[in-house]
Amino acid sequence: MTTATAPALPRTSVKPFYFNTSAHLLRITRQKANTLAEFLDALRECPDGSIFEHTFRTLEEHHFIGEGFSNDFAHWVLSSCNEPSLAEGLASVDVREFTSVADLRDRFIQIVQIFLQRSAEAATRASRETFYFCAADAVVIPTNFVARTLHEFSEGLRGVSVHCIHHHFIEARLRLKLMSNDFSQWLHEDLGLTEAARRLNRIDIYTATLDDVREQIIRIVERALI
Amino acid sequence: MEPMELQTAPVSEMATSEVVSHSNAVSTPIAPLREERRRKPRTWETPPAPVPAPHLDDYKSIVGLPVIDELRFLANGLKGKTLKMVNSTAVGGGVAEMLNQLVPLLNELDLRTKWDVITGGNDFFEVTKAFHNALQGSDYKLTPQARDIFLIHNEQNRKRMEFSEDVVVIHDPQPAALVRGREDSSRRWIWRCHIDLSNPNPDVWGFLRPFIEQYDAAIFSSQSFTRQLAIPQYLFYPCIDPLSEKNKDLDDSFVQQVCDEFGVDRSRPIVTQVSRFDRAKDPVGVVAAFKQARKYVDCQLVLAGGGATDDPEGATVLKEVTESAGEDPDIIILDLPPWCALEINALQRASTIIVQKSIREGFGLTVTEALWKGKPTIAGAVGGIPNQIIHKLTGALVHSVEGCAYQMRYLLTHPQFAKELGENGRKHVKENFLMTTNVRRWLLLCRILLGSGTN
Repeated sequence: MTTATAPALPRTSVKPFYFNTSAHLLRITRQKANTLAEFLDALRECPDGSIFEHTFRTLEEHHFIGEGFSNDFAHWVLSSCNEPSLAEGLASVDVREFTSVADLRDRFIQIVQIFLQRSAEAATRASRETFYFCAADAVVIPTNFVARTLHEFSEGLRGVSVHCIHHHFIEARLRLKLMSNDFSQWLHEDLGLTEAARRLNRIDIYTATLDDVREQIIRIVERALI
Repeated sequence: MEPMELQTAPVSEMATSEVVSHSNAVSTPIAPLREERRRKPRTWETPPAPVPAPHLDDYKSIVGLPVIDELRFLANGLKGKTLKMVNSTAVGGGVAEMLNQLVPLLNELDLRTKWDVITGGNDFFEVTKAFHNALQGSDYKLTPQARDIFLIHNEQNRKRMEFSEDVVVIHDPQPAALVRGREDSSRRWIWRCHIDLSNPNPDVWGFLRPFIEQYDAAIFSSQSFTRQLAIPQYLFYPCIDPLSEKNKDLDDSFVQQVCDEFGVDRSRPIVTQVSRFDRAKDPVGVVAAFKQARKYVDCQLVLAGGGATDDPEGATVLKEVTESAGEDPDIIILDLPPWCALEINALQRASTIIVQKSIREGFGLTVTEALWKGKPTIAGAVGGIPNQIIHKLTGALVHSVEGCAYQMRYLLTHPQFAKELGENGRKHVKENFLMTTNVRRWLLLCRILLGSGTN
């Protein structure tokens, strides 16, 4: 039996990884809710940008909170409507399981609908605070970091802002329409580091701050360097 | 500016529950001092000269290089574009203060920005002050004369000014009718509303609304301050400048000096509310909450504010607060002039927790200041405060005296949780409510409205 030597991992990619970031401006939409029934209507009618803002984007805005914050809908339902079971249901929605805002919207609508079918009396109870639906307008901007090698990639990860991490690691699935992210895609497709790419996809963004997420990504990438 | 020299007196020599007025022009306290033992600190008799506006690089150590780089990249897409800001005053008030810092930073980023101020007689400013109050809910009877005065002065300013910039930003209602001067549809006009329009006088709003809807977009400070409009509405949170006198880092020796001077004992927990003596800030409620909390935990209360010397209602409220404090040696009431930013900064930094128990509020920048200093903060869930305080994550929101008292007790007896709230609060401000974020929002808005690269 002959022993085949594993081919050396390609450490230089033909296609460089350009670190970009996105900056968002909040627009106030027409939808608002003072009851759960109004909330359900607004969930159906609001622009896609609102679903994005109150789920994907709010994670970025509150990236420093390691635990206890999932999305704006869950937070409002708990703090202003005092409906902990509905809040738990909404909070359990993991944005990374969705590659389209339409599917994400449907999931939230379904959760609220089921709750109101079981607790009809909650539908018209006035909330303590109004929920205002906002939407984010985005501008994508470059950064100073470009990576051609794993080492440069690791340096880039250290140097960019957490907004850049969010842009490539969390928002990316809406662009890619894949259950993945820009980092994993590059590691897998351009460097052949499939295991590292897979491990990145297992990082839990809901139990860590974005800075912690960055550290976990760097650790995985640096392990692949060894 | 050099820190002032403060005369110090040993804590043991100081009387407490006294009003100490630091406006040297009017130094008579409302309530008679029980003893003249607390010396009056030597504060500035007149406002100090303004501090020069900071440069972008000065913020690097605070927000990090990537954030400054992002601003430069955003500004690259606006090369050659011009912007004009128009408001009603060059000095005094939050808008002028913000523009004084914002305009140089935008220019430094090569977005050529001009700032013009409208002029008008007393009659105009009386009308616009009445409009300002009416738009925030006060009773007001709009007369044809008031309408004429408003329109005539806006028209005079329109003729005097030029509007050749790519983006024109009109701040607040006073110059709102300048939009009638827009001729070129390629320019973008924005109305930046700094006040709460959630419950306006219908006559005044009905008069102004047709002007507002001629703009390309409106900007509000909180979702709850908006009206339904036919134009896009954006959300720009107000911001603080981390390099200003009120927010910059201070030497602990200076903090100690200020505490010594004001009779604040740093060896015991300090609960502080900084705000004007105004019923909307519920200082009497703060005293009541403090008295409830202190049954369980040793602490002192500092109420630091102003407005008692230039506002008759402020003097009345100060008297009510002083009476509610009674002879309590642990309640320290300070009536400070508006230019005591360094002392306010020091008191906030010396505090164990900070309270802003407002029952009505604008955005609540004193909350932003407290959070920026990493202080666990308890605040009323009104106005823009819920934008800043996420209950139990970046602070504590309260709705009553009892709730406030409970949170004081809880935070004073759970220092680790209080520390985490403070740390999260500071990060929340760093991300959302600093001057650099404000610069980013303006650059973004210009890019979005001018179509310079959006997704």
